[in-house]
Amino acid sequence: MKKYEIIINHKGMINLEVIDDILLKLKNYLQEKQIELVIRKRVYTLAVECLDNIYKHADHTNHISEIISEYPPRFIIEKIYDDFQINTGNIILDINKVKINDKLENLNKLTLDDITILYKKSLTNAEISDKGGAGLGLIVMAKITTQKIKYDFQKINDKFFYFAMQLTIKK
Amino acid sequence: MKTINIASTEKSPKVLFDPKKYIFEMEGNSRPENVRDFFYPIIDTLRDFFEEISPEKKFTDNETAFNFNFKLEYFNSASAKFISDILVIIKNGNDKGLNMKVNWYFDDGDDDMKEVGEDFSEMITFPFSFIMMQR
Repeated sequence: MKKYEIIINHKGMINLEVIDDILLKLKNYLQEKQIELVIRKRVYTLAVECLDNIYKHADHTNHISEIISEYPPRFIIEKIYDDFQINTGNIILDINKVKINDKLENLNKLTLDDITILYKKSLTNAEISDKGGAGLGLIVMAKITTQKIKYDFQKINDKFFYFAMQLTIKK
Repeated sequence: MKTINIASTEKSPKVLFDPKKYIFEMEGNSRPENVRDFFYPIIDTLRDFFEEISPEKKFTDNETAFNFNFKLEYFNSASAKFISDILVIIKNGNDKGLNMKVNWYFDDGDDDMKEVGEDFSEMITFPFSFIMMQR
């Protein structure tokens, strides 16, 4: 078995076509390598939620192409022994930084049982936005990874931050 | 009487609603590009149908349950919201005396999909039948 493998290494714009390509490649890899069903679906689910999140932030940044070339969206999946690691990166507006930070800080404090309770409560109250999001993505990620979510915000300028996140799926 | 018959795609599930056969079925993957466009008509059809049936009339045969079969392989978080909306319609129908049955299918070894079903069942306080499938 390989100790380390990069399964997906995407740097650049993320649109629906790119998402479909990445997910197809990932699906084929997981099937070919005969990864255990539960792990396979966890990796796939996290990939969908992460890509969805990046895609839904994309329209905020259409007018700042010069920043995007320097800070392009990133989506990487690695296999380290039996574990999988997903790394994402995308530009966010400074007004969203506090919101995301608070959500992640809170999720990382909760036990898995608490996350499930929060998930059920949020599902009942969720409203679907114009972009088709239910605001449940981060909660679903915390529920599925079962590990603490690592994240970081790098300041680009007064308006934008680069938001990096790392999710681990342990066997 | 409105029916639904949507074929599955790589991104959206097969959806079947046939009131004459007392069956609703959702099968496959669910991460439609436009989640609202996909689910709103389904939810409207179900809501209209089950709100219009009077509890006294129930279904034509009182012994027959209306079966809701969920055979999902994968669904994203936005789809989960709509699936929970469908389940609330089922629960409301049951509360007014209709004989409703939820069958939650999951693949052998897919404990997470079973757990998601258990979460939904607890959430709407309505018991599901859990059925393991061998592929």
